[in-house]
Amino acid sequence: MMGEMFGKLKDMFGFGESGLVIQAPLEGEAVPISEVGDPTFSQEILGKGVAIRPGKGRIVAPADGTIETMFDTGHAVSLTSDDGVEILIHVGLDTVGLKGQFYTAHVKNGQRVQKGELLIEFDIAGITGAGYDVITPVVICNSDAYAGFEPLPGAHVGELDDLIRLKK
Amino acid sequence: MKSFTYTIRDELGIHARPAGLLCKEAKKYSCTVRVAAGGKEADATRIMALMGLCVKQGDTVSVTCEGGDEETAAKDLEAFFQGNL
Repeated sequence: MMGEMFGKLKDMFGFGESGLVIQAPLEGEAVPISEVGDPTFSQEILGKGVAIRPGKGRIVAPADGTIETMFDTGHAVSLTSDDGVEILIHVGLDTVGLKGQFYTAHVKNGQRVQKGELLIEFDIAGITGAGYDVITPVVICNSDAYAGFEPLPGAHVGELDDLIRLKK
Repeated sequence: MKSFTYTIRDELGIHARPAGLLCKEAKKYSCTVRVAAGGKEADATRIMALMGLCVKQGDTVSVTCEGGDEETAAKDLEAFFQGNL
């Protein structure tokens, strides 16, 4: 009885057999996070993740949830999904230094978002031209809370393709 | 309870990298570590919460450690802020 109830609860929160799948917030080429040229990401200081070399200058919500921080500079956004997954999307490396140039933020702190909703637009050519690497780490900040972390993409990822599977 | 205040000198404030490093540092201690700034407060072991404080250069943060190793934690974290932020 209790077991069955737990099973149902697990399914309800997406922790059944298949785990919890996070979708890609942008289109591009998937790169292992260990190959990102910034130790903050490659050494997983902010959590485990997957990096995407953007093919298109837009970030969408990878899940239904709430925006935690839309950085004033528009170069990064973090949200907590309704399942409790803390996701940080950091567009480019060291791009805090661009102070907002080439980025347009479309959401505010605390705002509710639906999966697929536009969060940030950015100018890939502008960022690259200013001498920055535009590779975009997608990090699960609370990956410690999950026993399983499995990157799912092949070489090319489309917007909202399956990206990461988490298991409790 | 041990606390200290610190005024951020880093031009970019507590952005992703320092938030990650601070979080890693705070996790070393058994005491709770809370960072308060601009009327908001964050658990220092939560990266997202730290980034959510949106701390900028010139802002003053107040750090409070509470628990068994609060003495060491406050001392080490103050050194961390001076060295990194």
